[in-house]
Amino acid sequence: MQEHFNEEIENLKTSLIKMATLVDDQVERVFTALETGDITLCKGIKAKDLEIDIYDNLIQTQCENILALFQPVAIDLRFVLSALMTNNQLERCGDIAVNIAQRVKKTTDMQSLIKESQILDMGQQAKEMLKNAIDALILNDLDIAQKVLESDEIVDNFNKQIFLFLVERMKTDIALIEPCSHLIVLIRNIERLADHATNIAENLVFYLEAKNIKHQIKLNPPTE
Amino acid sequence: MSLEKNIKIDTRHLNLYFFEEKILKDINLEITSNQILGIIGPAGSGKTTFLRSLNRMNELEPGSRIEGQILLDGIDIYNSELDVISLRKRVGIVFALPVALPMSIYENVVYGVRLSGIKDKARLDEIVEKSLSAAFLWDELKDRLNLSGLRLSGGQQQRLCLARVLAMEPDVILLDEPCSGLDPISTSWIEDALIELKKNYTIVLVTNNTMQAARVADKTAFFLMGELLEVGLTKQIFTAPVKQETNDYITGRFG
Repeated sequence: MQEHFNEEIENLKTSLIKMATLVDDQVERVFTALETGDITLCKGIKAKDLEIDIYDNLIQTQCENILALFQPVAIDLRFVLSALMTNNQLERCGDIAVNIAQRVKKTTDMQSLIKESQILDMGQQAKEMLKNAIDALILNDLDIAQKVLESDEIVDNFNKQIFLFLVERMKTDIALIEPCSHLIVLIRNIERLADHATNIAENLVFYLEAKNIKHQIKLNPPTE
Repeated sequence: MSLEKNIKIDTRHLNLYFFEEKILKDINLEITSNQILGIIGPAGSGKTTFLRSLNRMNELEPGSRIEGQILLDGIDIYNSELDVISLRKRVGIVFALPVALPMSIYENVVYGVRLSGIKDKARLDEIVEKSLSAAFLWDELKDRLNLSGLRLSGGQQQRLCLARVLAMEPDVILLDEPCSGLDPISTSWIEDALIELKKNYTIVLVTNNTMQAARVADKTAFFLMGELLEVGLTKQIFTAPVKQETNDYITGRFG
């Protein structure tokens, strides 16, 4: 029975890694499109997202079966729960890649504004966070997960600064209202991507260390 | 001290030997009143020996001796002046295999009570109804009390054994693998009964079915090779055990 159970857990791990790799590729492609303005890279992003959705359903079914048939406990239970949560985060990351691709198509002629606004730096940071979160997930590496957790604030700060920058530009040039609006949606998506990377890292901490570190700052604010 | 913390049973530095072999090693365990303590561990870990030490049943085995103390409501149960018969009335035990006596259901329930001297029919009737009700059997058997106990199913016989223990009005109920031979429905009857009974009794449940401990126990103790390796709230033991060995046992990696 234990052998059969281990096999199911291994299958779940494999599905998660395959899904994460697909998501990583998608995100890499849309950010390259954003950096280069090469919208041909955005082709096929939506179709590929369907493969991610298929993994989403598969992983949910695998988790459901393991819970129903084996009633895992302790570290096994935490693994299945964290796989369920991470599956959800990865699926959202896939959707965000599709959204970013759409914005890239609509802002190709705004390259100078994109560069000036630090959106590329923000994107680089968020992409790195997701990559690290996926590496941490594959390697069960808490040090890499910790790096992800520490980076979330950097992306949040970029988000605030770039938002203000874009609002200022809209105020000064009415022609920029539409492209800047697209870019505001874009940075919102990048910020969400970083949030999902953070959640994936948090899920790994839950799995490996049996600690729920979600919402810690909000729930236990520093006393100073 | 024990009473202040609402501790029903307090074992202190308990060592138990059979001849020269040390079976239980320095067990320190507090069992809280009106709770179910689940005891889990692989075969030979000492969980049944520990259970049987709580009403001095190990004394029936040759070569057994103990060191340390087991306090019941603050009184050492191994005190030489303590009456073992009255101890076993206060601390009843239900075994793995149901032992229905070859007599009617009614007589099965009142067997121990009669031996203790109660003869009044009305009082005995009252005890039978109360005990069978508490063991979730009354509705099923109230019209068949003269039927032989041996005619009952395994699950009913086990609840009958529980009713026989309850008839003695104990403080503590010990259960050694009470559902090992039972189907899931009978098991769930016993489990429901235990959860109901803990309102009035302190319950210690030895089980090889770790998920049974997860379902019914307030606290769970993990025994390994005669040692109490870990004890904690059941939720903690089954989600985030502290010891690697506990994790490995409950996840089926050994044992």
